[in-house]
Amino acid sequence: MRDQKRGRRRGQGELEVQVLAALREAPEPVGTGWVRERLGGTLAHTTVITILTRLLAKGAVTREKAGRAFLWTPTADESGLAALRMRRVLDGESDREAVLASFVTGLSPQDEQVLRGLLGRAREAEE
Amino acid sequence: MGVFVFLPLVLPLTAWPIARLAEQRLHPRAATWLLSAVAGVFAVCSTLSLALLMVVGTAQLPGNPLPDGWSDEEVRDTVPYDEVAGKAAIPALIAVLAACTRVVRRHQRVRRQAERALAGLPATPVAVLPDESPYAYALPGRRDRIVVTTGMLAGLDSAERRALFAHERAHLARRHHRFLLTVQLAARANPFLRPLRTAVTYTTERWADEEAAQAVGSRRAVALAVGRSALMSRGAPVATLAGFAAMGPVPRRVAALLGPAPAGRIWPPVFTAVGLAAWGAAMGTTASALSSANSAVTLVLILHAATPV
Repeated sequence: MRDQKRGRRRGQGELEVQVLAALREAPEPVGTGWVRERLGGTLAHTTVITILTRLLAKGAVTREKAGRAFLWTPTADESGLAALRMRRVLDGESDREAVLASFVTGLSPQDEQVLRGLLGRAREAEE
Repeated sequence: MGVFVFLPLVLPLTAWPIARLAEQRLHPRAATWLLSAVAGVFAVCSTLSLALLMVVGTAQLPGNPLPDGWSDEEVRDTVPYDEVAGKAAIPALIAVLAACTRVVRRHQRVRRQAERALAGLPATPVAVLPDESPYAYALPGRRDRIVVTTGMLAGLDSAERRALFAHERAHLARRHHRFLLTVQLAARANPFLRPLRTAVTYTTERWADEEAAQAVGSRRAVALAVGRSALMSRGAPVATLAGFAAMGPVPRRVAALLGPAPAGRIWPPVFTAVGLAAWGAAMGTTASALSSANSAVTLVLILHAATPV
């Protein structure tokens, strides 16, 4: 049960990438039906809408009203989408330094002053 | 077992001097190994002591699943501290186990999420993400990966970029995440071990800095890379009490890199401050291990004798 749930969630992440990739192949803003067909037509119409809406919330696509339906345009490529997702993971962790080793950690105002002094001396020594 | 059962709960205090001194005086590799090993042994012994106290405490409770013989008069006489300490050990042990489970789950969750976030990208060792916010992370996993944003790379020159990648590769190659997980679990098992967690978080960064300095052949380039990335990422300053804050980890790392290279010596000479602190921690660790072993063996013997066959 749990594995199933996890598998489905991972599937949605991959679907987002697939939908975005399909949109990027479109010659012009396209509707949901075009995306669905492009992905082989196996997905439900509502699933495609759900994924497009999620991409919209992430800022990876834009849409415009055309009659009763929406036309979709991609704004991010795959690495742009990965960047958006990574930002969400990081922003979701209040204490991310506890989990991921970051290259640098935050600076207090005094730290910043001390650091500027150290870097200034290091550059002088070079000249 | 007597008072020995309580010793492992307080002996972690003997590691405080070495936690402070090792990060300044030992090579960061030696400091990381020493402090992580000490923290791990202390944490295991401290948890074992809680478990032993719990067995004694639980035996007093009506309706518990333990054999009746374990709460005999004779056992009670042999094992003192069964009343208050035994009962207090039950919630304490549950809290420790719950906190450790949370830590492990959180690690797994963040790793899984990060892996999923990068799922669509080609499987390269370095993933460059188009993002103005400057950050760089080493992501251990089935495929080790370095994640860095264009914002971070834009602020560094080519020597500093090489230093950044060498630093992150050192984190991955030396499996620093295992040391960090060990000390985090230890800090949850016994709050007295928190200074060791802080120290190891710092020494792993120093270790990666020194490896990077060797890889790129310049301690200055690494110092500049660390300093400039920190100034770029300073968007959210850490809240500190002005005037009371000690120098934060980043300026200390830069200062250490601009100073002389650390000696490669593994164990410090005895009659120096750091040597005495190291021996203090080593003896505390040994005493802690012996006390828990002593208590465990005693308890097993007593309970074995009291168990109706």
